[in-house]
This record gives sequence, structure tokens and C-alpha cells, in this order.
Amino acid sequence: MKTKNIEKVTRPGTPHFVGDGFRVHNFIPGTSTMQRMDPFIMLDYNSKFNFPATDKPKGVGVHPHRGFETVTIAYKGRVQHDDSSGGGGIIGEGDVQWMTAASGVLHKEFHETEWSKTGGEFQMVQLWVNLPAKDKMSAPKYQAITNAEIVKVTLPDEAGEVEVIAGEFQGNKGAASTFSPIHMYNVKLKKGGKTQLSFPEQYTTSILMVEGEAKVNDTTTAPQDHFVMFKNDGETFTVEAVEDAVILVLSGEPINEPIASHGPFVMNSEAELMEAFQDFNTGKFGYLED
Amino acid sequence: MIEVPNFKKHIIEKCGLSETEFTQIAPFIKTKNVSKNDFLLQQGEICSHSFFVEQGVLRFYALNEEGKESILQFASENWIVSDRGSVFFQEPSTYYIDAIEDTLTVMLDEDFVNRVAKINPNFRKQNENLLQNHIRHLYKRISLLLGASARIRYLEFVAMYPDMLLRVPQWMIASYLGITPESLSRVRKALAAENFKR
Repeated sequence: MKTKNIEKVTRPGTPHFVGDGFRVHNFIPGTSTMQRMDPFIMLDYNSKFNFPATDKPKGVGVHPHRGFETVTIAYKGRVQHDDSSGGGGIIGEGDVQWMTAASGVLHKEFHETEWSKTGGEFQMVQLWVNLPAKDKMSAPKYQAITNAEIVKVTLPDEAGEVEVIAGEFQGNKGAASTFSPIHMYNVKLKKGGKTQLSFPEQYTTSILMVEGEAKVNDTTTAPQDHFVMFKNDGETFTVEAVEDAVILVLSGEPINEPIASHGPFVMNSEAELMEAFQDFNTGKFGYLED
Repeated sequence: MIEVPNFKKHIIEKCGLSETEFTQIAPFIKTKNVSKNDFLLQQGEICSHSFFVEQGVLRFYALNEEGKESILQFASENWIVSDRGSVFFQEPSTYYIDAIEDTLTVMLDEDFVNRVAKINPNFRKQNENLLQNHIRHLYKRISLLLGASARIRYLEFVAMYPDMLLRVPQWMIASYLGITPESLSRVRKALAAENFKR
């Protein structure tokens, strides 16, 4: 199989705050356009950051989403979310929340109250995965995937393990169901551990160095908190941990449909965006107190 | 020069200039960045420009003797905001213009209008159209403030400013509508109760 070569390695840019609870580096669409990264249309990475103790949890207030899925991967810290349907829950360390906003969700996300009281290190990824046009107006749903439910595949030679969040790794299926073909793993390598990963050539493929440093394809260094984007010129690449490492691996088949996006809505046309604003403004997403 | 694609579109589509004419006026375009919470105009100053919003949100407001804000206008992309009275009559303004988001504006003044009108005389007529449209909008706004229910005021507002609810705090929208934040909350709750189906 041909090697998948690196397109570019991006260092984390100047962070900005989403609300007052998420201090993030934007990699998508910061690194490349939504069209290039299709089906991954947004990636905000809260690199390790120490939040002081507080009785007033920090976070982001009530906001809507339509037309895509949000995937929250908690590495450090805990997040509580509540929505206008009366749903809610807590995303703890190691957990993944896969929320299909689809036709519309109105929600808020804050550091969990008890966690906020002590504060501490917070590290999280929020990813937006686009939905095919036919699914954009389907009913919203949640997949609350606890760490215990995530399939873990042990790598040979004590190299480490692979948590399969979605898709498949060496025949092991991930916990999350998706609307288009997507593979998403946390590859946890011990120092010196090495593994090969393989995805179809046309899939949009990238990795985020959540912890530690790795060598990609034996030659390129990927330091901590850096984002590595691959070309569509082959299937396989290798990662080798220079020190203990956690690598978020994303690979998805492009949906290849028009993208019209404005703020929290990602649709296929301007008319659908206007409809989204109108529906939000007239209460069709429900109501939620700040 | 700083790129101003929205202003270019405005000049070409709304004011009827050609691409070539836009290239001719480009050297005279003055822009100003204003950071969130910073002022473009404060009470007592003479307002020297109208501001076309290329990117961001501005608000135009008055403060009463008790320090209460009354928001006359929001201006997001493609809107023009100014204390026209202060500009035209060269008198100190009684209003404020500040930025709700980091904002890039194109600064318009008589000199700019004259230069553009020299290149395309139709520009003066289009400017007049914009002014008349603004006056029509103000009549409607006054009649809504004097006579309409909170719900109608809100629905007219979101029809005119579809994304503003996501960009400015609720209390500012309430101020613009001339209602209390609690009343705005009630209107939105009632709409959700009628329209939210799950």
C-alpha cells in the first residue's frame, strides 16, 4: 500500500475563549477550509489549561446548532450540558459525547459544578462533523459514550493501545454510530511504541497530538498540541512515540456537497441558513434559560 | 489596502458602480478598526463620518440622565450607522457609537461622496435612496415603539436582523425594543411554547 504523506504540520495558534470556559486553538477551518477538511468542518482544541476553583461554573451559554454533529472528547476536566428538550448529562474524563444536532438543538455547556469548585487542568476537543444533506433535518440525538464503553485494542510489542471511538480499527468497531464513513481513534503509545494506520486514499485524514511527541512516517516530528494534515496520495502512515503520547486520529470520507455556514448553522444553501435563523428566532429550537 | 468585500459589493450592487469604477475609488476608501467596547463616537463630539460596517457589530445609543441606555440602532455587516444630525449640522452629538464585536468599518464623509459622484454621478441619487430608506425605517420604528406589542416588536426585529440574537446580549435587544429583559424572555418563551415540537 502507498504511503500517505504529510500535507502540513500546524502549530497551535493564539488561543481564544469560547464563552469563558473553553480556551481553544482553532485547527479547522483555521488550518484548511471546511471544503478541504470535509466531513470535519470545525475543530477547536482546548490544550491543557488550568482553571482556578470557582463557585460559578465557567462555560458557554445558550446557543443553537443545526445541520451537523458535535463531538466532544474530554481528556481532562468535566463538562455538563443541558438542552431545551430537558436532556442533559456530564462528560467526564475519557468520555466522548457525540451529539447529532441535525434539525436543531439549543443547549449550553459549562464546567461541571463539582469540578469547578476545585478547578484544575482542563483539556478537551470539540469537533463538528458535517451531515449529508438527507440527514441534516433528521431528529436530534445523543450518544453519551463513557470511557468504559469505548473498545480498546492492545497493540503488539507493548506499543500501547487504540481506543476506537468511531469506525473500525483492525476489525474492532467503534462505539459511535455515524452518518457517513468516519474513523476516529485515540492512539495511546508508550515511549518508543509504533503503529501503522491505514485509511482509504480519498478520506480526509489528520491527527492531533494531544499528549507527547511523535515521529510520523519515520521522518517528521509532530510535537505536542500540533495538528498534522495528510495528503490524499496514499493509504498508510506510521506514528512512533518519542515519549508517551496520545494521538487523536480522524479520517472520514468527504461528503462532497455544497457547504453554507453561518455561526452555529451549517447547511447546503443560503436559503436553508436563513430558515435556520428564522426557526431559531421564532422558538422552533425551544427555549432554555441562561 | 485592507480588503472590504462587503463594501465593494454594496458599491457595485446597491450604488450601481462598475468594477472599473470601484477600482478608481478604491484609493479613497478609508477604513477604521474598532475593538469590542471601544467608541467611534461619544456624547459632545462632532460626528465626522458615517460608518459602513464591513465586519462586526456596532450599536448607536443614547444615555438618559440616570445613565440608562436606549439603543437606537444596531449595525452589523452592510449597515451604515451615524449621527446624521451631528454630521450635517456640525453640532455636538448627544449619542454614542461603540463596538459590540471587534469591527472593521469604512468611513464615509462628504469628500468621499464627492469623489465617487465625480466618477459616477448616479452615486448621489443612490445615497439619497439610502437616506430616504432610512427615514422610512425610522417612521416604522417609531410607530412600533409607540403602538406595537412586545411580540410584534420582537418579530419585526428578528426579521430585520436575523443573526442579532446570537451576537448581542439579550438586555441590549430588550433596550432596542423598549421592553424589559423579562418581557423579552416571556415573548421568546411563548413563541417556543407554540413552535417547539419534539
